[in-house]
Amino acid sequence: MSKQSFQLSAADFAPAPPATHAERIVRPSLSYWQDAWLRLKKNRRALSSLYLVIALLLFTLLGPWFWTQDYTLQDLDMISQGPSWGSAALVVEDPGAWEGVRGDALPLPQGQELGATTQLTVEGAATTQYVRLYWNAVPGAQHYLIYRNDHAPDSGQDLGLPLGETLRPEELSFADRLQLRPQTYWYTVIASDGLTEAASGTTLAVTTERAITTTQARERGLEATVGASVQLPAHPFGTDYLGRDVLARIMEGARVSLFIGIVAPLLFIAIGIVYGGICGYFGGTLDIVLMRIADFVIALPFLLFMILFRIGFGIGPGESGIFPMLLALVLLSWPSSARLVRGQILQIRGEAYVQAARMLGARSLYLIFRHLVPNVMGPILVTLTFAIPMAIFTEAFLSFIGMGVSPPTPSWGAMSNEGIRTMLSSPHELLFPAFFISLTVLAFNLLGDGLRDALDSRLRSRE
Amino acid sequence: MLLYILKRLGIGIFTIWFIATATFTVMHLVPGDPLANDKAVNPTIRANLERQYGLDRPVFEQYVLYMGNMLKGDFGISFTEENRAVNDIIREHFPVSASLGVLSLFFATIGGVLWGALAALYRNRWPDAAIMLVVILGISVPSFVFAAFSQLGILTLNQWTGRSILPVAGWDSFSSALVPALVLGMSTMAYMTRLMRSSMLEVANTDYIRTARAKGLSALRIFFRHQLRNAILPVITVLGPAIAIITTGGFVVESVFAIPGLGRYFVQAVAQLDYTVIMGTTVFFGAFLVLMVIAVDILYGFIDPRIRLGAL
Amino acid sequence: MMTHDYALQVDNLAVEFDTYGGVVQAVRDVSFKLRKGKTLAIVGESGCGKSVTVQSLMGLIPMPPGRITRGSARLGNDELIGIAPAALNAIRGKRIGMIFQDPMSALNPTMTIGRQIAETLVVHRGLSASAARAEVIELLRLTQISQPEKRLDQYPFEFSGGMLQRAMIALSIACKPEVLIADEPTTALDVTIQAQILLLLQELQSSHGLSIILITHDLGVVARMAHDVAVMYAGQVVESGLVDDIFYRSAHPYTLGLRAAMPSNDPRKRQLQIIPGSPPDLFAPPPGCGFADRCAQAMRVCRDTPPPAYGHTHQARCWLQDPLAPASPVTSLMVNNKAD
Repeated sequence: MSKQSFQLSAADFAPAPPATHAERIVRPSLSYWQDAWLRLKKNRRALSSLYLVIALLLFTLLGPWFWTQDYTLQDLDMISQGPSWGSAALVVEDPGAWEGVRGDALPLPQGQELGATTQLTVEGAATTQYVRLYWNAVPGAQHYLIYRNDHAPDSGQDLGLPLGETLRPEELSFADRLQLRPQTYWYTVIASDGLTEAASGTTLAVTTERAITTTQARERGLEATVGASVQLPAHPFGTDYLGRDVLARIMEGARVSLFIGIVAPLLFIAIGIVYGGICGYFGGTLDIVLMRIADFVIALPFLLFMILFRIGFGIGPGESGIFPMLLALVLLSWPSSARLVRGQILQIRGEAYVQAARMLGARSLYLIFRHLVPNVMGPILVTLTFAIPMAIFTEAFLSFIGMGVSPPTPSWGAMSNEGIRTMLSSPHELLFPAFFISLTVLAFNLLGDGLRDALDSRLRSRE
Repeated sequence: MLLYILKRLGIGIFTIWFIATATFTVMHLVPGDPLANDKAVNPTIRANLERQYGLDRPVFEQYVLYMGNMLKGDFGISFTEENRAVNDIIREHFPVSASLGVLSLFFATIGGVLWGALAALYRNRWPDAAIMLVVILGISVPSFVFAAFSQLGILTLNQWTGRSILPVAGWDSFSSALVPALVLGMSTMAYMTRLMRSSMLEVANTDYIRTARAKGLSALRIFFRHQLRNAILPVITVLGPAIAIITTGGFVVESVFAIPGLGRYFVQAVAQLDYTVIMGTTVFFGAFLVLMVIAVDILYGFIDPRIRLGAL
Repeated sequence: MMTHDYALQVDNLAVEFDTYGGVVQAVRDVSFKLRKGKTLAIVGESGCGKSVTVQSLMGLIPMPPGRITRGSARLGNDELIGIAPAALNAIRGKRIGMIFQDPMSALNPTMTIGRQIAETLVVHRGLSASAARAEVIELLRLTQISQPEKRLDQYPFEFSGGMLQRAMIALSIACKPEVLIADEPTTALDVTIQAQILLLLQELQSSHGLSIILITHDLGVVARMAHDVAVMYAGQVVESGLVDDIFYRSAHPYTLGLRAAMPSNDPRKRQLQIIPGSPPDLFAPPPGCGFADRCAQAMRVCRDTPPPAYGHTHQARCWLQDPLAPASPVTSLMVNNKAD
């Protein structure tokens, strides 16, 4: 330090030019919303949830433009199918056309046991419509038992699903039409003399091909000639228990769920603003009475009354039940936002800067727009963001217990309710609507968190 | 303190009256004759009911009769089940719901406080991140999804081990209550964890924790003696709403797990439009929740000296 | 002077904070000495780093985001910076007591006053609960709290602000510390209560031989309490010396400015002078003197070279003290005895 000063010259000690920027504010001044937006942009989680919300809205609004499958179209041949990207299918003749194969019943030679079936063969193409099996008669057989397995049997006991048995000894064929999927099956045919089964059977591995019948092809406007190859519609999310496309239903359900989830909060917050504004602005006895009413409404057990309202409104046949639910949500949810607005107004009225502005002669209108609105908007926005997932949850909960929108209108909750019945065999029917509910609620919750952090002026001053 | 309790009780009674009135009003919005709606009303029950509820009389008289019966603690007779009083139904099914609820509230509170404190302690490190991930899931995934997948999980577990480790559904042993209670308490636990975490962090930033550090207390002592106690206070205040969430959440969980609780019974009654059961159960649940909230308020009062000594 | 004449000696302390806007250099190369049994006042406007300085000594700044990047602090012969938490805990509350600005929030709202004070006695002196209780009553009596037997079992919200600050003082001197750090102890209190608290501190100093660091922005409090003064500006000590040096022989333009901004009874000084401008942004401290932009006497050198500390017991960090500098309103120190 001291060494340094020896290198200084007299010129260094000449008066400095007067500082022009002593009063300069080093960091740029930001408005409330600019600052909040900057903070939100810094919050990666909140920002990605904002994108997610936008993506979900686009999915809902634009999705049906691109995914044109009818969400009400039932296809009983495609019940509870897993996700698939469409597939080519063979057009085959209608199942009723086959008469089967008949042969002669052979007597059992003395002292011999029932032998194994021989010459087990598939007639025609093995398809998902039917697998037609025939075989040679076994001496002494009264009828035949047909089993189907989805893996190669490793023992005589492991034959899989008993499909059925033939009724007469001459019947030497069987058509399997039981929920066939395009895969390999192992069929086993065992002869029986009516009392005991043969010790061994013959197993045949059959790989089925996806197919539709000519009648079905005609119904769908596809080429209906036997042997033609047609393209079946894709079901990226699979189909439900009535064979309806889950993706199309998810999109339509999103409209219902998001409509309720967004419109109901907008409505009850608007009511809350007016109600709370009146309470906060006028004060006095009116305020006390109005707020007491609001307190009572808050004390009502929310979900119970949602159910009661739904019963009370009563929905007739053909109605979706969306409107009663919306009304019930609004009727039961407004008080909390009214309370919030009133509290904010009372608090702000007491703030020194508002009193200062009033002393300086600011008019009420100016006060409301310059001080009140910006201060109330933040908490309102945060409340709105948290009210949306809450409403979506409520819708899902009610639809799940059958007290929400009524079938056939799809909503995510109603779809989950339907999906839970087939959860064990085809979990995708529950998985997809559940995933979308969770994703939406998650996105709005994270966005709400981010907004709250971004708008919290307490935090702002602390950093 | 006594004044505080009396005031809370007074408001509570008023609130219960309001709930009963609102229930009555909403149920009378139902178009048409409530008895005509029902498919299989036995003529004797119908006559009994009409006499008992005075359904032929003006609405106001009905209301007076209804409130009078409520005051006597009589919720009436089921519309669909012959000669079954709503009181009996509540008496039979509510204890099941209550024990499930108590267990799940226990899980939620203990879990919430524990996880929240842990997350705050390891703030911005991996245990915090892991806990908060579970919390976000707990908040975002509906309880029926948890219920369904935990059921699937139990099923798979039982299949794998080849033994019945946990029952998939039903209500016969303590073990059959475990998973439903966890599922039921999941979202509450998530909220409480979040609340506890932020409360812990807020307390950690207070001046009195700085004072405690300046006093030379060990981190452990500060954590247990000063931080935890103050941080738990806000968690206690949400116990009231938590009980409400758990009670109504029971509807779904009881249905999925086939637990014979009042919630499941209520859902069935709603499906069958059993008016007396619906009204009785609603008022009963409402009154129960109001009383619980008051109980929590009083509990809070005992814990927070500022309220106990009448400063707030 | 010998080291053992000082209760506390701080050298070249530097503290930084990571914030979302960047790194704040809150304390930049601060040194001071606290004489035994005396009061050192650290003065400066808000945000100048005076609270951070003492809190970092006590290990009370949150780390992270804060960190001590440089410097040492010796309590007697014991280093405070960088020691293990357990060793620091053995010193805090026992050898250094601390009182804070806002007594309302500085005490645990859900614990009785008595238990909060007794806690230090139990932890540091191993007293039993009943012995600690008796001692607490004594302490409360010492700090002039009436009815200590009754007050003991009350909660902070049942106390007034002044009473709470007395309780805080009782707590901080419970283990008879060598050093008492009072961080703006009277700022949050009424003027009449302020005077009582200051008087109490003075009495305790003479009866217990306390060495006190008093942090304040109130020059009136400084004049009344301090023996030595350190003036801080933008994270640095710009001037230090005996209280009379600072008040009557100010050697730094900032100190002069502070004095001019102080209300006075002098009828000739009607108008309060303000110091134009605001302190520099500590995200990016200026290369030269932090005060240069606000200084009427600023020279070219001030803008780009940080000034060294001139003087010996009365020191100032200002280029005006350099022999090459032109004449100025500040008192010239004995330039030849430049500190090194």
